[in-house]
Amino acid sequence: MSQIALRNSVLISLLVVLLPGVSLGQVRHILSGIVRAADGTALPGATVAVPALGLGTATETDGTYQLDLPAGPQQVVVSFVGYTSQTAEVKLTRNQHYNFTLAASQSELGEVVVQGQQSLKEKLTTTQMGVEHLSIREAKLLPALFGEVDILKTLQLKPGVQSGGEGSSGLFVRGGSSDQNLILLDNVLVYNPNHLFGLFSVFNSDAVQSVDLYKAGFPAQYGGRLSSVVDVKLREGDRQKFTTSGGIGLISSRLTFEGPINKGKGSFLVSGRRTYFDIFTRALNRANEGKEDYSPIPDYYFYDFNAKANYSLGEKDQLFFTGYLGRDIFGFTSPNGFKSNFTWGNTLGVLRWQHVFSPRLTLNTSAAVTTYKYDLNNSIDQFSFTLGSTILDYTQRADLDYVPNERHTIKVGAMLTEHNFGVGRLQRSSQDNSVNFGADVNYTGQEAGLYASDNFKASDKLQLEGGLRFSGFRSGTNTYGGIEPRASARYSLTDKVALKGSYALMYQYVHLVSNSGASLPTDIWYPSRLSVKPERSQQVSTGASFLLGDGKYLLTNEVYYKWARNVIDFKDGAQIFANNDLDSQFLFGRGWAYGNELYLEKKTGKTTGWIGYTLAWTKRNFPPQLGTTGINGGRDFYPNYDRRHNLNVVVLHQLNARINLTASFVFTSGAPTTLPLGRFALQDIYQGGIQAVPIYPDRNSYRLIPYHRLDLGVVYKLRPSRIGGDRDLTFSIYNAYNRRNAYFIYFDQTRDKATDKVTGYAARQVSLFPFIPSVTYNFRF
Amino acid sequence: MDSLSFRKLVRTLISGALLGGLAGCGSLQKDINVPLPAYANQLVVECYLENGRTPRLAVTESVPYLDDGQAAAAGSYLLKLPNGQNVQLPTDVAAKLTLPNGRTMNLVFRPGLDAATGKYYTHIGTGPITARAGQQFALDAQDQRGRHVTGTTVVPTFIPIDSVKYKFNTQTDTSRRAYFMTKWTDPGATTDFYRLMLHKGRPSNNSETDNDIRDRLFNGQSYAQVTRYRFRPYDTITATLYHVDSLYFDFRQSVRDARNANGNPFSQPSAIHNTVQGGIGVFTVLVKDQKVLILK
Repeated sequence: MSQIALRNSVLISLLVVLLPGVSLGQVRHILSGIVRAADGTALPGATVAVPALGLGTATETDGTYQLDLPAGPQQVVVSFVGYTSQTAEVKLTRNQHYNFTLAASQSELGEVVVQGQQSLKEKLTTTQMGVEHLSIREAKLLPALFGEVDILKTLQLKPGVQSGGEGSSGLFVRGGSSDQNLILLDNVLVYNPNHLFGLFSVFNSDAVQSVDLYKAGFPAQYGGRLSSVVDVKLREGDRQKFTTSGGIGLISSRLTFEGPINKGKGSFLVSGRRTYFDIFTRALNRANEGKEDYSPIPDYYFYDFNAKANYSLGEKDQLFFTGYLGRDIFGFTSPNGFKSNFTWGNTLGVLRWQHVFSPRLTLNTSAAVTTYKYDLNNSIDQFSFTLGSTILDYTQRADLDYVPNERHTIKVGAMLTEHNFGVGRLQRSSQDNSVNFGADVNYTGQEAGLYASDNFKASDKLQLEGGLRFSGFRSGTNTYGGIEPRASARYSLTDKVALKGSYALMYQYVHLVSNSGASLPTDIWYPSRLSVKPERSQQVSTGASFLLGDGKYLLTNEVYYKWARNVIDFKDGAQIFANNDLDSQFLFGRGWAYGNELYLEKKTGKTTGWIGYTLAWTKRNFPPQLGTTGINGGRDFYPNYDRRHNLNVVVLHQLNARINLTASFVFTSGAPTTLPLGRFALQDIYQGGIQAVPIYPDRNSYRLIPYHRLDLGVVYKLRPSRIGGDRDLTFSIYNAYNRRNAYFIYFDQTRDKATDKVTGYAARQVSLFPFIPSVTYNFRF
Repeated sequence: MDSLSFRKLVRTLISGALLGGLAGCGSLQKDINVPLPAYANQLVVECYLENGRTPRLAVTESVPYLDDGQAAAAGSYLLKLPNGQNVQLPTDVAAKLTLPNGRTMNLVFRPGLDAATGKYYTHIGTGPITARAGQQFALDAQDQRGRHVTGTTVVPTFIPIDSVKYKFNTQTDTSRRAYFMTKWTDPGATTDFYRLMLHKGRPSNNSETDNDIRDRLFNGQSYAQVTRYRFRPYDTITATLYHVDSLYFDFRQSVRDARNANGNPFSQPSAIHNTVQGGIGVFTVLVKDQKVLILK
């Protein structure tokens, strides 16, 4: 975007922010409250409407709503997919608080009714572009690898979102890399959202309420990452009764306990999950103990705990607490004395206080801590080797929501984060002190954000949202900052057709040091410093939405163009392991991503689902620098998450009261990859067999074959047990037609079977997951 | 601790995860046809000078990866190795070595097998050389097809091994094993690079461990490299410590990264960081210290 265009967008944003004081010359009051399900769970996305006035709104992620209405009696209708609508007569003589409780429309099917945050009509009329909402019920219905419901993998079924590879829960959104996602759990940053190298996400589906993925037009309250926001909200727990739920699957089990606090003044939820690979491997090791040729299999397992509690201190004050603890643990003790322990994981906690000054003005203040760390300890006899890295953040934030009238919704807020980067901690030592050396590289950084935004209903047809975010970062003597304008607009051509557009500028001040295609626990977060400038991206997008088939279908088409500078990669052959001079290993370049996303969805009826098609390009350029030739000699190249075509088809069908059938189909173009072009023979100092050394040409100059896969699922609801409650069996088939998708290709020698002599060389394609059936038993009582 | 270093541990974990997916599914791998673009063969040189030894140079050619190796390029000879591998040897390469005193030594094309190292060479010098720390040597190899490789190298200083020792674990049966420790002192004034190899039996046998080490974390201090418990009673262990230059260290790293990337989907491929110009390969001087221990 040119400087003039940028300046104009800033001015427009400022005007929008400063224009709230529209007088309406009529006595009006604010009706506000919370919409909950019968078990007390807040319902985000429920519709609260006054049909007689043609006014309505959708509840926020915590179930709250606000409506600016004329004084007098009003008939308020609250509705939500899967629940019985409720109508209330409210006499408005002052600002008033009114809570609604909705009953499930078919209690027997309560767990398997597909819901969406917003009705299609609301999606049509919102100014927000590029947002994907996922309810956990939707995710639970869909077939999953090993039966493990994974919300991040379900998000990969949405247009504009790529996975990092077969089975990976990494997200690559509109040409952004996986470290450019702002992943939030109840508004707290999660630094490493993966278990087991990205095969599973850290989010336990039993504890999650919903997920919103923002791909464009980022609201001003979000900042710090270039490409997306993944906003995960935990459930609040049952306010009415104590409930236990859980599941037993192929590789893990889950257990959740929730209930009211002090007769419904609050509620709590605790949820845990643990895998049991280690139980099987230990049994296998025991069975083979003493066999000389048997190498024991190391222990591996992961677990995570979620906790959430809320408590009303009065009509105007409420406290919320969220906590998370997750660890992956790898342990190995060899019979002859070598020990190795490797642990990694996130820990976070946040305490939030919500104060309702008036129905028009709500303040949320919070204090949060989040950390990710890994620790490796190896020992043999008197010698030990330890390695670790940590990032620890303390964040304070305040967010003020103000609704001066029905045409404006203003959000103002500020946040401050103290980052502590333990980039590398290495120690080699011995008990007799004959070996003792180490390194400990630590940095600190302060990141601040200040934002204001206004959602302005200019007319029935035109709605604007403008925002400004001022962000800054300081690490040592280096200070960076910038203005991040955000703007979106919606214009309704008719009540079934809307045009939308958005612009967002984002800065990213902390960077993931990762030189691998996988999400490794050893990836390190690194601050912007003198030689490491903040990454910056801008994105414009425009689109049109059409409500079709009497409102049953929503067809959306969005076009986007994103450009970024100071994006980070690494020198060829970079040494990022235990390197206390990482600054010298980075390369800085530019990036572009553009594409078109077509999305058709259906959220009501017995058959629901969506079809998404994305045509996209992603490019990077790293010119010669720091005595290197850059990447590919400074020529543009496609990163390995570039995909030209991506088609997703998801169908959920309620066959009868007990059975739901689901299917998802994915097709993507092949991933760029790097294959060796030539080879040479190397003997080395001593003759130890001549090695064939590959000679690699430009990075990512070859593409794997297209990827496609069909997954099938059945959710069968069992009859209630003698103690009551709900039970179901969830069957999944991953890769139903057993497609051999390419995970990677390598070149290898071919040999004569009789003589074992080398006969030539061949290219071999390796696939990861074949046809994998699984079953999970879920219960709730 | 070298053999289960951190990188290997991560690789082990990844492999474990992959194996989990691959378990019982042998057909998850298949041969495919990959149409690769044309590749122009390059000269490859490999020359390790040592004080008091006659220089030997191996000049070969790189080839397209999937080349079946049955046909030699014009001007080259196909060397068939006992294991069935074929190596292209260009027969038209003239090579010479420039000594520290400025005189040149022609390296004569006379392919053979070095009995001391078990290695093939194509060119050999006319006599032993003298190489002292700080002296510079230069290599020039040129064929009649316009390919020309040059390189220079400086003789590193000698770094002695301070001590070697071993210790057996507490096992008394067939799982009785010893770890092996090699210790030396790094000079503080310079940035230093090392290669430490442990061999069982003769050094020309395959190495048991082979580590490239830089002094970034122990500059000016004593350093000890410790293996895990891996050696049996009565093994004869030869520890060889090479003090190498940064170019050779980088070459080794890049070769390892390139080899690892072929078959590891998580590894970023590396271009080869050659120590020579105009082609591929390595030209360096080896300065080593060696200790031998019999584990009793």
